[in-house]
Amino acid sequence: MSPLYSQHIRNLFSKQKSNKLSRKQIFLYILGICCLCIALIVTNHNYSLYKKTIAEVVKANVVEQNKSTDLNHNKDAVYSQKIVAKIMNGKYKGRLIHLENTYSYSGAYDQKYTVGTDLFVSLEKNSQHALSGTIEGVKRDKQVTAVAGLFILILLAIGRKQGFYSIISLFINIVLLIGALNVYLALGNVSLLAVCIVAVVLFTVISLLLVSGNKEKTHVAIISTLIGTFVSLLIAYGVMQLTDSNGLHYEGMEFVTIPPQKIFMSEVLIGSLGAVMDVAITITSSVYELYEKNKEIAHKDLLKSGKEIGGDIMGAMTNILFFSYISGTIPMVLLYLKNGSPLGYTFSMNFSLELIRALTGSIGIVLTIPITLYLSSLFIFRKGNRK
Amino acid sequence: MNVLLLLALILFILMSIVGGKKGIRSFLALFLNFGVIFLTILFMLSIKNTIIVTLIACTIISCINLFYINKFNHKTLAAFVSTIITLAVLVFFIFIIEHHSMIQGFGEEQEEEINAFSLYVGIDFAKIAICTIIMGAIGAIIDISLSISSSMNELFVHDPSVTKKNLFNSGLKIGRDILGTTTNTLYFAFVGGYLTLIIWFKRLSYSFGDIINSKTFCAEVISILSGGIGVAIIIPITSWISASIFLQKREKGKQYKEIK
Repeated sequence: MSPLYSQHIRNLFSKQKSNKLSRKQIFLYILGICCLCIALIVTNHNYSLYKKTIAEVVKANVVEQNKSTDLNHNKDAVYSQKIVAKIMNGKYKGRLIHLENTYSYSGAYDQKYTVGTDLFVSLEKNSQHALSGTIEGVKRDKQVTAVAGLFILILLAIGRKQGFYSIISLFINIVLLIGALNVYLALGNVSLLAVCIVAVVLFTVISLLLVSGNKEKTHVAIISTLIGTFVSLLIAYGVMQLTDSNGLHYEGMEFVTIPPQKIFMSEVLIGSLGAVMDVAITITSSVYELYEKNKEIAHKDLLKSGKEIGGDIMGAMTNILFFSYISGTIPMVLLYLKNGSPLGYTFSMNFSLELIRALTGSIGIVLTIPITLYLSSLFIFRKGNRK
Repeated sequence: MNVLLLLALILFILMSIVGGKKGIRSFLALFLNFGVIFLTILFMLSIKNTIIVTLIACTIISCINLFYINKFNHKTLAAFVSTIITLAVLVFFIFIIEHHSMIQGFGEEQEEEINAFSLYVGIDFAKIAICTIIMGAIGAIIDISLSISSSMNELFVHDPSVTKKNLFNSGLKIGRDILGTTTNTLYFAFVGGYLTLIIWFKRLSYSFGDIINSKTFCAEVISILSGGIGVAIIIPITSWISASIFLQKREKGKQYKEIK
């Protein structure tokens, strides 16, 4: 066989390897799809796992319809539903239950139920034959599983190996977060911020190692991320001390069970971490690639290109944080405004904390750019000097 | 002095030092974006079709973040077209998901906060839920599509005779490299905002079943996952559209030369 020919075959083979799926990959995909199918089937038939009574709606009729106008002249429609549902678990499994439901067009805190919906109900037995009860909530586990499955499938189909790694790193992050909160609640007397600082170090090390492997650029990215996040947190803390938290409305914070000041700093810390990691890894990768391509590159040129890349991603990264924070407040802001709350009050109640989160995160992003640049060039040129 | 003002000032100074003129433009874009969200909310109060309002808002936001920060050229044009297509696909997806999982409005955990208000306000909160999810992901979607289209342009400039299929494949490859970090960014941003919720669940000793079926939790998880889906599907869409637009430009350039 001539060497050229074997080379040609090798090329063909490597091409095939990159474009088509190997048998092992196909096997993994089929395995993944099977797992998802099993998860879906299980969540569709897991009624017996619940202690609460679950009933599936078999008939739902609207019996009454009323127009409603509230104090602020908002027009809405309120409907009453009579529902017949079949009990799916427990002592009365298989029997029918009669339920009532009121819902509105808005559906801010109520819900129209249709045939097929699974409901959690509490039973009230008032006669021997007919069961009745009240609706306590909707069973949503199968929907969440379906969306999670879809997410995993799409990420694998488009992202292939990298998609797989990002799912793994998401999963590890979720487990870590829950673990950290468990430690916090179990210890009782440590501050949440201290637990979160430890968690942040773990998050950063694990996520970045998974995303870009155990290389020098990853180490640089880890150090820069940690410096960037903590410095931005210090800045936010300093600003709050300096201004006496003027303009901060902790009243607008939701789900608070412990003093809000403590928890807010932890939230800011964790919230900006992802974006800061993203910036650090983007900059280190580009700087190292520039260096690999041209080992003779001057220190100044490397910094200049790095700065340009930094300027390019800065706007986009700050936007990501900004939108993911602000968007969550939209329903509440609408409710405030529709109830005749003044604009200024509504905005300061709902937006002040979110904007502080976004601004602190953005400061972290912008700070991380020069920090990462400086550290990567330090590492690169230290190495260069040694040679 | 107000916390917000001081932080904004610090951010402005940092952005102008680190990013120069582009940094200043990025900072102004943040304000413009906030203005767009503000107007969107005001429009949502009176216009029934809130999804259309959101889509228009997203189009304006894409214009600001692509054409204002980065100037109008074929890179940003490709990113813009891809963003709009992805949004349309995503709205459709989320509509179905929302319909089945019933995550609109407010959960039990928010009861204390909302019980002072009249809840029959005549806004369809199911649609608002869709808008919220879309708005939460738009930043990440724009970011990823611009990253892909500018890297593809870089490749195209270096190798102008590249075939469409190869260009498309390199687009996918670039996209895959940034997919992981972007989903991470979204995850941490959302989790950061809901740390209190998770602690609430733990404090009130919710069982696993309670958590996974609670409206607030499901809404949160579905937001993160839908954002992730959006970030993933924009990769092939941008790769294809950029490849088409860049090659079309090449064809046009050829014709122009021939005429000359």
